Amino acid sequence: MARLRPSAPALALLPALALLPVLITVLAALHDGGVEIWTAFLSAAVHPSLDPVLLKALFSALQVTLAMALAGWSLSLVLGVLLGCCASERLMQTWHWPTWPATILRRSLALPRSVHELIWGLLLLQVLGLHPWVAVAAITIPYAALVARVWRDQLEALDPTRLQALLKGGAPPLAACFTALSPAMGTVLMSYGGYRLECALRSATLLGVFGLGGLGTDLQLSLQSLQFRELWSGLWLLGGVSVLLETLLTLWRRRSPEAKAGQRRLGLFLVFVIGAGIAGGLWLQVLLPDSGSVVWQGMGWPDWRRLTQAAADLPWLRLIVETLLLTVLAAGIAIGLPPLAIVMAPSRLWQIMLNAVWALVRLIPPPLTVLLLLLSNRPTLAIGALALGLHNGGVMGRLLREELEQQSVHQQQAMHASGASARLSWLYGLFTPRSSGYLAYGAYRTDVILRETVVVGLIGGSGLGWQLLESLSSFHWDAVLVLVGAYALITLLGEWLSDRCRTRWLQS
Amino acid sequence: MSSLLQLEQVQLAGSQRDRLSNLSLQIHSGERVALLGPSGAGKSSLMSVINGTLIPQQGRVLWRGQSLRQRNRRQRCEIGTLWQDLRLIEELSVGQNINAGALGRYGLPWALANLLFSIGAESCLQCLRQAGLDPRVLGPEGLDRPVQRLSGGQRQRVALARLFRQRPSLVLADEPLASLDPAIAAEVLDCLLDKDFDGSLVHGADAVMVSLHRPDLIHRFDRVLALREGRLLFDAPATAVTPADLQGLYAL
Repeated sequence: MARLRPSAPALALLPALALLPVLITVLAALHDGGVEIWTAFLSAAVHPSLDPVLLKALFSALQVTLAMALAGWSLSLVLGVLLGCCASERLMQTWHWPTWPATILRRSLALPRSVHELIWGLLLLQVLGLHPWVAVAAITIPYAALVARVWRDQLEALDPTRLQALLKGGAPPLAACFTALSPAMGTVLMSYGGYRLECALRSATLLGVFGLGGLGTDLQLSLQSLQFRELWSGLWLLGGVSVLLETLLTLWRRRSPEAKAGQRRLGLFLVFVIGAGIAGGLWLQVLLPDSGSVVWQGMGWPDWRRLTQAAADLPWLRLIVETLLLTVLAAGIAIGLPPLAIVMAPSRLWQIMLNAVWALVRLIPPPLTVLLLLLSNRPTLAIGALALGLHNGGVMGRLLREELEQQSVHQQQAMHASGASARLSWLYGLFTPRSSGYLAYGAYRTDVILRETVVVGLIGGSGLGWQLLESLSSFHWDAVLVLVGAYALITLLGEWLSDRCRTRWLQS
Repeated sequence: MSSLLQLEQVQLAGSQRDRLSNLSLQIHSGERVALLGPSGAGKSSLMSVINGTLIPQQGRVLWRGQSLRQRNRRQRCEIGTLWQDLRLIEELSVGQNINAGALGRYGLPWALANLLFSIGAESCLQCLRQAGLDPRVLGPEGLDRPVQRLSGGQRQRVALARLFRQRPSLVLADEPLASLDPAIAAEVLDCLLDKDFDGSLVHGADAVMVSLHRPDLIHRFDRVLALREGRLLFDAPATAVTPADLQGLYAL
């Protein structure tokens, strides 16, 4: 009898089965009026509003989003690198300092990292009021902790012999660290830093959807008032900026990694990071001169008895099960859909069309997709899973394209020459050699999706996110604190699990 | 002997190494053909033209009398290649790699099942034995062993087993003896060239064509094709090839 032994490509395709229950639920809950609204929405894509007044307003809003993203990104990168160095036991040993402070710092960074930027944004909004720097801080806090983790992990993973050789030769520790670590770490900074800039743009838009200003706010208002042509004007504008940013980053990464030029590029990159932070801050000041200064609204210390009471009142089992189900379904769609879509028809034209679709779904913030789906459906967990799955599927689709571009076509040619059809040649010859790396990134993405469930939960009416919004709306701070703690705990567990999966798949 | 494959005035433009000039030849059923020539003579290019990886600018390639210009799936199945770089799929197990040879005969469900389950074990083991590898050397994992963990010789056998699983009518082997020690090279050649008592090739194909750098082995073949700078220098029965012919072939 055949034994079950799933290999990496099968594990990458199987999650697409999550589409079945999601689509069945969504289609079953579809109502007739939705067709008309969807037709209007889709036809507006080719007829966006070109009203000069609107375009001017959208352009101003886009500038706010960009300024928030740049300032948040720059601050988080600088802070993250500093924190990452402080959290590295290896660097501490280089200076003959005790390593326990680094260990404590590393562990305590897990909390800001595990809370999604949207939750940070909503919390800061309550205590600091509406101010553009609230969005910047909401991006900076979790991003700095994420960068610190990656930076610290990379420092620990580097070959220590080069550093030791310099130290044994009498080089001062700081000079030795710069000489031995900067070439490899510079590459990490440029590659990961570039990726985080794209994330910052997405986050700044998302925060806007929840009222923190910028283009996201305009998009949300257009959608709520069913002004699809205005909505598409904003989306195309955002799309143009995203494509431009992606293209610039791709060109930057493709430049030759020759050693001396590499050091020069690193210097340029650092100047850009710091310059972007200053420019972003000044830009916000110019764009929103009446925003005033940040004012602390004040919050009392939580009372232990009230916290336990709030915890006891919450329906934990339902909330956690819904959150995990949302994660599993969305991750299944995000991981399984891109390769499944290609294997169904791996023609060049189809892949170009798919790339355009991935770019579009990556562009639309998931809460907007949820709102769109809600125009023709009732709020269910499936709606949230579909929105989150499609958005992250866009990210996975782009990653898959980049992975496949690096793969030699030799195996595919061999499969095709032996009589395999085009789709099987693609599956075995092109996708299979890249499937382990794809799955490893899928594990990381699942971790991100778990964090992002709050985003769709807030709108889709499911999971911890929805409960969090309810508690925030009713100023039930004890419940908010307990829920944020629970979210942090779940995402840390998810992070641990995804790390294990990623390590396993990368080793395989 | 009926003609299996026919090349008529084949012209392949490319770099010095990839060029083929006005090449015409035939391969008949039951033949074991050695393809000789110095490095860059066009041996791999000729193999690639025959298996469809390269498309010639001029000339015709006929398979059983039919043009291979737009080769269909059945025609591709009938020509099997043992690639010089083996082209095994490192991420898959031995069994999955061997089964990959049969993809031309099955559809997507079977291909997905092969990625999900250990299937077709009997056929895989048979092909592996045919390729001269005792499955016991794969250890307790057997066919589930990842190909990444095989030695060079074992990898060659798995590639050979994949080829046999394809069940081609014409076997093309591109430098199959390169980087193998003499004992293993001799065994691999046996697997490719040995005939049954009825005169048919043991692995079931109708004909085999092997490119190699070892003129001392031409006595194992029926016919020798010699290429130099993309041109056919001579095409003769193996018994008729003289040391002077070979000297002329490899002389600078």
